[in-house]
Amino acid sequence: MPTYLDHNATTRVDPRVLEAMLPYLSGPYGNASSLHRYGRAARDAVEQARAQVAQLINAQPGEILWTSGGTESNNLALKGTTDRVAPTRLLYGVTEHPAVMEAAESLKERGWQVEPVAVNADGLVDWPAFERQLGAGPVRLVALMRANNETGVIQDIGRAAALVHAAGAWLHVDAVQAAGKIPVDFDALQADLMSLSSHKIYGPKGIGALAVKSHVELTPLHHGGAQERGLRGGTENVASIVGFGVAAELALQELEARAHHVLALRRPLEQGLREIPGIRIFGESAERLPNTVQFALAGYDGEALLMQLDRKGFAVSSGSACASGLGEPSHVLIGMGLDRDTAKGAIRVSLGQDNKPAEIEQFLVALRGFVSA
Amino acid sequence: MIYLDHAATTPLDPAVLQAMLPWLQGRFGNPASDHAWGQAARAAVERARSQVAALLGAQPEEIIWTSGATEANNLAIKGALEFRGLRGAHMVTARTEHKSVVDSVRQLESQGLRVTWLKPDAQGLITAEQVLAALTPDTALVSLMWVNNETGGINPVEALAPLLRERGILFHVDAVQAAGKLPIDLSRTPADLLSLSAHKLYGPQGIGALFVRKRPRARLSPQLHGGGHEQGMRSGTLPTHQIAGFGEACRIAGERMAEEGARLSALRDRLQQLLQAALPGLHLNGHPQSRAPGILNLSFEGVEGESLRASLGDLAVSSGSACSSATREPSYVLRALGRDDELAGASLRFSLGRGTTPAEVDQAAARVIGAVGSLRRIAGSGTAALVSPPLNAHGYAAPVWAAFSDPRHAATLPEGAIAASAGSPAGALRLRLQAELDGRRIVRAAWQAYGCPVTLAVGEWLAGWLEGRSAGELQLSAADLRAALEIGDDKAQCALLGEDAVLALERQMSLA
Repeated sequence: MPTYLDHNATTRVDPRVLEAMLPYLSGPYGNASSLHRYGRAARDAVEQARAQVAQLINAQPGEILWTSGGTESNNLALKGTTDRVAPTRLLYGVTEHPAVMEAAESLKERGWQVEPVAVNADGLVDWPAFERQLGAGPVRLVALMRANNETGVIQDIGRAAALVHAAGAWLHVDAVQAAGKIPVDFDALQADLMSLSSHKIYGPKGIGALAVKSHVELTPLHHGGAQERGLRGGTENVASIVGFGVAAELALQELEARAHHVLALRRPLEQGLREIPGIRIFGESAERLPNTVQFALAGYDGEALLMQLDRKGFAVSSGSACASGLGEPSHVLIGMGLDRDTAKGAIRVSLGQDNKPAEIEQFLVALRGFVSA
Repeated sequence: MIYLDHAATTPLDPAVLQAMLPWLQGRFGNPASDHAWGQAARAAVERARSQVAALLGAQPEEIIWTSGATEANNLAIKGALEFRGLRGAHMVTARTEHKSVVDSVRQLESQGLRVTWLKPDAQGLITAEQVLAALTPDTALVSLMWVNNETGGINPVEALAPLLRERGILFHVDAVQAAGKLPIDLSRTPADLLSLSAHKLYGPQGIGALFVRKRPRARLSPQLHGGGHEQGMRSGTLPTHQIAGFGEACRIAGERMAEEGARLSALRDRLQQLLQAALPGLHLNGHPQSRAPGILNLSFEGVEGESLRASLGDLAVSSGSACSSATREPSYVLRALGRDDELAGASLRFSLGRGTTPAEVDQAAARVIGAVGSLRRIAGSGTAALVSPPLNAHGYAAPVWAAFSDPRHAATLPEGAIAASAGSPAGALRLRLQAELDGRRIVRAAWQAYGCPVTLAVGEWLAGWLEGRSAGELQLSAADLRAALEIGDDKAQCALLGEDAVLALERQMSLA
């Protein structure tokens, strides 16, 4: 297998996480909603995990709802807060993940006025424009991500929250990429809703969470069953929930060490990149996630470069794994004002705990090889 | 522990776990990624898609992954009707559907969908004629489960599907309890949408699928947006390990279906015969013939449901669907079959599975026979032996459990004893106290009761408390009882019943 430099797409399950999951895969089974003893053991495990996930973002356990992943969390946040009210406006950052963007756009059919929030060339909210936008009429919900999945650019959520609340709206924060990589404080950021995903933080795929403040009126997406206080029907995915809990606990414990590890790799990587003529690093002057760097080489097509890197044994991405294979330039980079050709050349390197300095050196060697060839 | 609750969830087959592990260990790529890590995961996902399709007689591209059957049912119903447009639309479904179907339909009903809710016959089945009679020119969708999760009854899906196809009406089938248990061949049964769940057939929790027919194409509005996974019908990163496990589970189910079905039917019949031979007053909830192997649902006359469950110890069975167990309401499916609250509440669903042995069936039968006989005797009917419930599996407070599990004063006293009764207005609880007097002093007390374990514990505790006391010493409030037995607010009525019974006894003593 090629060297894996695509940790924003997904991460391996930490062996400690798998170990915690195994008893629920091979041992005492039980539907967590059942009343008998095994069902109760499963329920206890689910509640312990809820506390662990809550702690990662300094939320209350009662604020955490389980979902099947970040996509469902984002859909639930946007559709669940707009379901039973007369349509007004919904705003979302132009660089949001497709799950937010497309969920938002789907609300147009229901009469919502859906508007993107502009960002500047670094991917940061254009604050004066945002304030004008908020003042232009009633807004129900604003969706902004804590950190961008492609560029790693970190948004000033606290500042946004103050403006959003002053306008009488709620703020949904997609923290799928930020949680576990930088401190994320649901309470201090004053977010009303927040999405999380397990498989971005060395937990299993197929499980996520939505944190919801108690004042938020939410209607469910999946009806049926009293699970998750009636807000999300379906038999609990106990093993995955337990895995997510442990992954969250480890992410919190090891937050600094992990950030330190990837930063120590990213510094020489970026240094090496800057030495390549015609390189451009996106969001370079903004605060970014410690593990992420997205760049383009002038005159090179991203898809072609990806294939060449793949042949040389490096697994990287052009951006969101979800959009792979569509051949479309990144909407994130277009939103930051880049032209289509530059955007089409984008390569994202997202580092993880298994990466080693030698891999970075080899990656740079490979890249220089293409440029000089 | 004897696990006879396979209709709620099944243990993971060891072979399924083996199929999952590589994707939880080294091979962790995102199936949507283009690189080799992603390609490996994608290949596993597609292999599993073929395995699931093969179990159904479907094409792989007709399988859409979901997070489980609840999502699959939501996607089928809301997706189909939103695509068509709710305006003027009508659909037909049944009151006996799973909660995820019922609640999805109700949600659309509140938005203007017109719905015909079919009532099952006394055996819990919906007939094809009933469905056809309910159709209107505006009927856009029929949703009917193949096998009912509570009774095991088999609805006439195979007969109905071609009739609905002829009429151009979309047909959704919740096949969660049928898949892997009954042969399903969608190349011959023209249903358009069909929901599946992995954890009901020895696969992992948190993964399911919706079959969406390609020819003629069933069209859906997606319910989860973003990324365009699953042909745009269901976005979100695919959990490779769950999907690989689901595929393997379907492969195994297909291989073993015939042999396992015959074995479980025989075991189920054996359980039913053992219980019916030993206990009068049993009601079969469901159809005696048209039922899936492995599920047996019985109501027990003359016992209260919660006490029955509490008496079963570590025998894991279900009382109604696990999805609504938390609400402790009598099963709405059994109510739809015409059972009253009492009989619906005193029902047990036994669901046998791959690991169930004949010895377990015999032990389970003995446990139930002992518990029912004992509770009936405590309620004043029958002469069966009193059996101590083996284990406090439901977490009753220690003093309640001590009294409930050792009902040494549960008896009737010889003639001449003073008796007094109390009951709840609806008759759901009854408590009878008896006292044998020596002058003004109670030398012996006894009780009988019908009710929940707390009611029975109140009876037992009171009988012990009464012994040795004289008239004039019988001041006991409900609050005292609650304190002594650690009775919570949710069971306050049981303490009130005790207070009433003591007051009534005191009155009888003063008359004597």
